Amino acid sequence: MGKYVIKRLIFMVFTLFIITLMCFVLVRMLPPAELPPGDPHTKIVEARREALGYNKPYLEQFGIFLKNVFTKGDWGVSDVLYFGQDVFAIFVSKLPATMIVNFYSIILSIPIGIALGIWAALRKNTWVDDTISTLTMALISVPSFVYAFLIQYFLAFKLGWFPFLMKEGTDWFSWPMFVSMIPAVLSLSLGVIAGFTRTTRAELTEVLTSEFMLLARTKGLTKVQATVRHALKNCMVVIVPSIFGEFISIIGGSLIIEKLFSVPGVGQLYLNSINGRDYPLFMLLTVFYTAIGLVAAIVVDISYGFIDPRIRMGSKK
Amino acid sequence: MKKLLALVCALAMALSLAACGGQPEQSTAAPTKQETTTKAPVESTPAATEPATTEAPEPEKPADYVYKDSVTTLSTNWNPHTYQTTDESYPTDFLYMGLYSFFFNDESHPLEGKEPFEGYVIVPEMAAEMPVDVTADVKAARPEFNIPADATEGYAYKIALNKDAKWSDGTAINADTYVESMKRLLDPKLLNYRATDYYAGDLCIAGAENFALQGQKEYTAIGVTTTEFLEKGGKVEDLYVDAYDFWNSDASYTDADGNSLPQYVSVLDETVYGENVDDAFSGKELYDSYLGAGAEYESMSPDELYTITGEYATGLDYDKTVGCYKTGDYEITLVFGKSLAGFNLLYNLSGNWIVKVDLYDKCLTEKEGVWTNTYCTSLETSVSYGPYVMTDYQADKHMRFERNENWYGWTDGKHTYVDPEDGETYTMYQTTAIDTQVVEEAATRKLMFLKGQLMGYGLQSEDFDTYRSSDYCYATPGSTIFFLILNGHKKAIEQREASEGFDTTKYDLQTLTVLNFRKAVAVTYDKDLFAATISPARSGGFGIIGISYLYDPESGSRYRDTDQAKKALCDFYSVDTTKFASLDDAVDSITGYDPETAKTLYNEAFKEALELGYITDEDKDGVCDQTIQIEYSLSSDSDFMTKTINYLNEKMNEVTAGTAFDGKIVFVKSAPYGNDWSTKIKQGMADTVLGGWNGSLLNPFSLTDLYVNPSYQYDAQWFDATTVEMTLTIDGEELTTNIKNWSDALNGATITIGDKEYCFGSGRADVETRLDILAALETKFLGTYDYLPMLQDGSMALLSQQVYYVIDEYNPVMSRGGIQYMKYNYNEAEWEAYVASQGGELKY
Repeated sequence: MGKYVIKRLIFMVFTLFIITLMCFVLVRMLPPAELPPGDPHTKIVEARREALGYNKPYLEQFGIFLKNVFTKGDWGVSDVLYFGQDVFAIFVSKLPATMIVNFYSIILSIPIGIALGIWAALRKNTWVDDTISTLTMALISVPSFVYAFLIQYFLAFKLGWFPFLMKEGTDWFSWPMFVSMIPAVLSLSLGVIAGFTRTTRAELTEVLTSEFMLLARTKGLTKVQATVRHALKNCMVVIVPSIFGEFISIIGGSLIIEKLFSVPGVGQLYLNSINGRDYPLFMLLTVFYTAIGLVAAIVVDISYGFIDPRIRMGSKK
Repeated sequence: MKKLLALVCALAMALSLAACGGQPEQSTAAPTKQETTTKAPVESTPAATEPATTEAPEPEKPADYVYKDSVTTLSTNWNPHTYQTTDESYPTDFLYMGLYSFFFNDESHPLEGKEPFEGYVIVPEMAAEMPVDVTADVKAARPEFNIPADATEGYAYKIALNKDAKWSDGTAINADTYVESMKRLLDPKLLNYRATDYYAGDLCIAGAENFALQGQKEYTAIGVTTTEFLEKGGKVEDLYVDAYDFWNSDASYTDADGNSLPQYVSVLDETVYGENVDDAFSGKELYDSYLGAGAEYESMSPDELYTITGEYATGLDYDKTVGCYKTGDYEITLVFGKSLAGFNLLYNLSGNWIVKVDLYDKCLTEKEGVWTNTYCTSLETSVSYGPYVMTDYQADKHMRFERNENWYGWTDGKHTYVDPEDGETYTMYQTTAIDTQVVEEAATRKLMFLKGQLMGYGLQSEDFDTYRSSDYCYATPGSTIFFLILNGHKKAIEQREASEGFDTTKYDLQTLTVLNFRKAVAVTYDKDLFAATISPARSGGFGIIGISYLYDPESGSRYRDTDQAKKALCDFYSVDTTKFASLDDAVDSITGYDPETAKTLYNEAFKEALELGYITDEDKDGVCDQTIQIEYSLSSDSDFMTKTINYLNEKMNEVTAGTAFDGKIVFVKSAPYGNDWSTKIKQGMADTVLGGWNGSLLNPFSLTDLYVNPSYQYDAQWFDATTVEMTLTIDGEELTTNIKNWSDALNGATITIGDKEYCFGSGRADVETRLDILAALETKFLGTYDYLPMLQDGSMALLSQQVYYVIDEYNPVMSRGGIQYMKYNYNEAEWEAYVASQGGELKY
């Protein structure tokens, strides 16, 4: 197992390096933001680009970037979107809003999603199952921004229960802040609830028809005992990794939901950094998200081994 | 099973409640002012609409009149030295003041010959008095500023400063502030974006350019053709081509080693740039193939070839170089590199460059020779000297401004106006706070507006039917005229037709270049109907210059209202003015739509194209065998584009019915070209697009350069303004020269006609003469049929019932008075009560 993890980590670092290099070169190949012809500011803009080293060969620029990151922990200063500000500080200042909204969404979604999945599986082929399955399919099929608009229209505009936008400020755990997050949280949750419901129902339905469940019942366990002790445990092999996946997506943010509810998070940072040719910000986000994605993949893979001891990671047998 | 469900539900509830944690913080956190406002209970009885019976505002509320604004992009940098975009400059109107300000004329600020609020006056703001011309004194005392020997005025001014002006923290603002700020603005190592504003335009502070660009190479256009340059003894090795402009390239073009393309490339340089973008070239190739002596585009060489005329000197001493210095504790003297006087002087000084020097210096950081500055990028680094001060800032989320109690304007008695309705005198800036949120989605903005949570809502296309007739809807004209640019690049069209895959038996492009065909297209569309159909906030566009441009900013007179401009339109649209009671009636009759003339012209164009062999009529049915396929150059596809193309085709089919081109002219969308859409048009690789220019609303004369200067022209590849002569009678003298010369002379250049020199720039010729030239040029540009005016830009927005404009009429300089003159029907408490009384949803 240890060997397997080390091997994966080495591959991870190598992959991260390759992706970082590719992104670094590709984003610099984009034409710089255009100034109108004859704009008198062109001379100053060009001089600044020169000073920042943007006219040097790409590989030389990449070398400087790596040197600064590894020797000084310096990710650079934003030159376009947040002029003069440290990009790492900007990113860190925006993480809490995204993380909190997504965290609330997950802790709301997971129990509800799993509960509905269990209910549907236990009532398979009844009106309960049909209703849950239909709703699940509807929620999965409809893009999240559609029900985000509906939530905003009905809950904020028509009923006036919630504000339209997330509250400003950094009092993340205050009651007004929580209330203002609810429309965004609900919008994020519906899709996740549907996802967990579908997965749980599918897994549990399959497990409930297994022979070991029949054996469990014949040895005298009640249906509830058999379901909780044997069926649910087996379902978790699939469900738990997806829970890990959801938790990792906490820091990813959602472009549409953050935009609609004015969540001051990281959702739009990445796109804006590309459109604005804000290279330092782009590189920080690229490295961060790539690293998170790679770590997530390893964590999920390793988690299988812990959940189900029969699964041996890296084993050749 | 029930137990299990109950267990799961209980767990879910417990987790959800846990998510609502942070109770201790909730109990200790002080609510913000806005929270207090939004949570305040409101009596929703019918009587609540009357202010007298409304619950009194809570005493701790400092803001009674809150302007609730929304933006799609929140400013991240309002540093007056480095901000770049309009979004970034958003806070500057609240935080900073210019040396001079514009007020509407009224009883307190009268303007001769104008009714109140018809015009405007310019008053000292951060200055204490109007500038005093000291050109003669400075010329004698400070020769280093190189004031021309024959100049007696317009080059140097002494400005007394407002002694009451303070920073929001109470620190005094004096002459040192101005001088030290200018030093930092122009500091060559800081490379401040806004430095250019103080030397590259009308406002040109003596020595500022030399000081700011120390150490950089100076390139100057050769100004003559390559042949003339070489004949005069110039050497090829001294020539550089402006690759960015001529080849429409940029720094993303790299050589084989990844080095970026510099703007100026030696014409002997064989390094190939641009293989990465599939558009490769070298400086040598550009010279040999295009700009060299006898080459195809040599006529462009005066503006595209450069020589190094020097390197900006280094080690300059600010005090001996820059014409901005202290002449008293509260007095500065500004010296200009070129003459500036009257309205233009005051207008250019309506901005300001001052910064709080101690804070500014603390915000500066240097890394590997590159300086960056965090001044005015956060609440902590922000400081004000205007009517408001920033009190809250959260990046990409929220900004709040509240009254700056240290602003002199609250007590100087000058910032008042007399209301045209009730005749009472009021202090400006009734708004006590401005609360700005980021609301990116228009649908959300609309819902918030209808709930009374925003002061304005810009109408979207789907809203026009519902709201355009509303009493609260205001139309604001823009500065741009959008015209259909029509391809006339014969060579490019021939190449396209010759390319593989182009079936000349089915399609034709060459007919586009037939003049009668272009004339026919020009009268095929009703401009107002076009606007009403595809973009209702806009109106029909008829001339090259829009309705907002003022030829005389001092009187607020608009170019489009002049007889010259009206005659230009009548001439172009062939309106017989003798048939109308007045010139205004004649202009009003213009729709741009004349189907009968169009049909005649299409038939004539058919004959002409047939004779030229562009098209065929094999079956002799009198209908063109080919379809004229006009490719519309898309940057990206959208519903608007689809609507536009559909409209153009629909009306074209209506007009061409029964003609030789019946059903044979089709507009088609191009592939999305992104930023290359204009290149495709300029190179004749696409055939039309709705494009437009805008410029300074106070100087319509400067727009002529856009149509004669190859650097800007869309039609530079097939229209050479130096080859089109125009004769005008000026002061009884008949003068003939090409339209490039006319345009240059109109914009201040001295030209030679015969053996005499002429200049018709501002202050060098009377306004009527200048208008005659401008209108004649406009007629010429329209007569090329390269630009077919279609839309006058504009927008429509709803204004909240909570506020009203003191004047409804839009003024290009003053707009409708902005936050300065905004008046309130309801204070915050009254407004909440009013909205509640309307069921929480307002009707507009």
